[in-house]
Amino acid sequence: MKTQANSEELLPAGGDAAGVSPLVALEDISLGYDSAPVLIHVNLAIYPGKLVGLAGPNGSGKTTLFRTLLGLLSPLGGTLARNCPLGNFGYVPQSAALDPQFPLSVREIVEMGAYGRVKSFRMFPTAESRRAVQVLEQVGMAHVKAKSFFALSGGQKQRVLIARALMVDPKIMILDEPLSGVDEESRRSITELLVRLTREQGLAVFFSSHDLEMVQRVADKIVRVDKGKVWVEEGNGCS
Amino acid sequence: MNDFFTILSPSYLLFPALVGTLIMGLVCPLIGSYLVLRRTIFLGLTLPEIAAAGVSFTFWLQQTGVLPQFASGERSIGMIGSLVFTFLGMGLLGYLEQRGKGLAEGRLAAAYAFAGALTILFMVFNPTGQIEVLNLLKGEVIALSRGELKLLTVVFGLVFLTMLVFRREFLLISFDRDLAFLLKGRQIIWDILLYLLAGLVIALGVIMAGPLLIFGFLVLPALAARPLVSRMSSFLLLASVLGLIMAFLGFYSSVRLDLPLGPTDVALGCGLIFLAYGLSRMTGKARAAFLALALCSFSLSACGAGVTSPPVPDAKAIHAEQLWLAKVKNSTALPLLLPAMNPLRSLAEMAGKTSSDYRQSVMDLLRQSLQTELAQRGFQISLPEDKDARFAAFSADRDNALRVARDGKLSGAIFVSEILRWEGESQKFVRALVDFKLIRIDDGAVLWARRVQRAVSTPSATNLGQASTDAIKEIVNDLFAS
Repeated sequence: MKTQANSEELLPAGGDAAGVSPLVALEDISLGYDSAPVLIHVNLAIYPGKLVGLAGPNGSGKTTLFRTLLGLLSPLGGTLARNCPLGNFGYVPQSAALDPQFPLSVREIVEMGAYGRVKSFRMFPTAESRRAVQVLEQVGMAHVKAKSFFALSGGQKQRVLIARALMVDPKIMILDEPLSGVDEESRRSITELLVRLTREQGLAVFFSSHDLEMVQRVADKIVRVDKGKVWVEEGNGCS
Repeated sequence: MNDFFTILSPSYLLFPALVGTLIMGLVCPLIGSYLVLRRTIFLGLTLPEIAAAGVSFTFWLQQTGVLPQFASGERSIGMIGSLVFTFLGMGLLGYLEQRGKGLAEGRLAAAYAFAGALTILFMVFNPTGQIEVLNLLKGEVIALSRGELKLLTVVFGLVFLTMLVFRREFLLISFDRDLAFLLKGRQIIWDILLYLLAGLVIALGVIMAGPLLIFGFLVLPALAARPLVSRMSSFLLLASVLGLIMAFLGFYSSVRLDLPLGPTDVALGCGLIFLAYGLSRMTGKARAAFLALALCSFSLSACGAGVTSPPVPDAKAIHAEQLWLAKVKNSTALPLLLPAMNPLRSLAEMAGKTSSDYRQSVMDLLRQSLQTELAQRGFQISLPEDKDARFAAFSADRDNALRVARDGKLSGAIFVSEILRWEGESQKFVRALVDFKLIRIDDGAVLWARRVQRAVSTPSATNLGQASTDAIKEIVNDLFAS
């Protein structure tokens, strides 16, 4: 089903049918760089426990939308409301965007997720270290915690970055192309993980992909972007 | 002299220089690690050059009278220029970076070339201060005083502590700016703090150790550590440890082989990089075996340094009481004249009314000291020029000395000395390379030989002439000490 993005179906301003408030709500927002809009009239709300896919070709504005949601870009117009602080946003960038020059172990990468809670002059708390191992176990990567992050395969890196995002104690997770450059087995296990996080932990998960077929199979809702336009479709994940 | 253990003694006169070098070797790699990881390595090359331009500029301003003479000395003036230029340079580069025009490498390369050109131009404008500026830019860390060491310790100590306390913030902002923003908000403060610390280390380091050594300490240990570790904490620790090793081995080699410290350290640092990449290709056991072997070799070499050279023998021991003491040969291409004590004669010399022949030279003073000491060893000293005025200075080369002695019909033994290097750029030390030989003329046997190659400390000297005089005393004492 194709709907313009300002559809009330996806965007009840005061809450969904169960009276739950959205974690993030965009109202008639224009996004872009240096006052050149990439997407216009975007209306979008993301609720807890929902798996939302963002699909569109390369260069269609997926990353711009994410960066605006995360506060890294200011919207050119419209209203952006967040019902949780930025510290509760778990962000999973594309692993290729991280610099392999840095000598970082898997454990160090995951521990970064707790840096917002640890004071500068303190040693890293033991409780946080234990938590890092727990989230690694949750994504099935505890066995590589001492390994170099950049020596892992693409799929393993994505799971470690998901663990880092979980370390933040997120209410909403935003994943930029988590399945890109990943083998079939890893794609399956990552999508299973995302579904599990949504269903079992009640997290809102918003992920992007240019693989529309996969997004349709997994997501509860699909936000489609192309040529500056945004619309919403139902996914099979909700069935 | 056992150089290895001597330099570790706090009473050793160059001990402040060793401690200063070690402090720089410990702290600079921490800053440099971030320059390497953030791929801003050229900043580590450009900022020291900008600091050097600042040093040159302030000396020129002083020479033109715009800046007053400071009682605190030339290093303080240089330090002001170094600090001001470093922070101005960083500000300008940061501004251009924000505007985002052109290539970052291009901006840094242009800034490097411009700063290098300015350094030379300001030196040319200021011919009277050229030597002082050159000495400062060469960065003779060996001349570090205890007061300067205190300043270095405080500033570098603060930098070290700041790097330690804010290590997580510096890592986060360098590795993943988006996550840093989500967790800690706008984080430009950490970028500014990191570059301020880098500027402080570079500005002070350039004046204490010179641009080459500071650039070496900033990047070489970090580059050497990178292939050996896969964790950030290990990387920073290893970079600092390698910086310490580079500083210590460089200082030790510099003292032992009489080499300039900056280039020696940098060459060692480059060697460490090759070694690190070699080690990274070895298995764990092979790596451990190689390191153990290297440690053993170094220990043996250090212990070997403890073998003391014998002193000049007594006349009776070599059965040659008649000894010809040749004039000391000067092979330095410098006149090595000591300053005149009579100001009127100095004025006359400057006015061209009299020659400088009346002034004593290092060679004269060395020969006089040798004559006194040899006489005390029971030798009957004769001077070749008393027999034949045509005798000039003898080379320390055995065959040359023998040929000249035999041509001049000398018999018995001859003591020859040749100065190959004598640099007294600072009143705090003299770099000397002098060969001495005691040769029996009849059969050509070398009865005793010694090469003195070291930086001789002259802490109580108040001028360059006094430094040379003190250095001669120290060298002659060393030759005759049993």
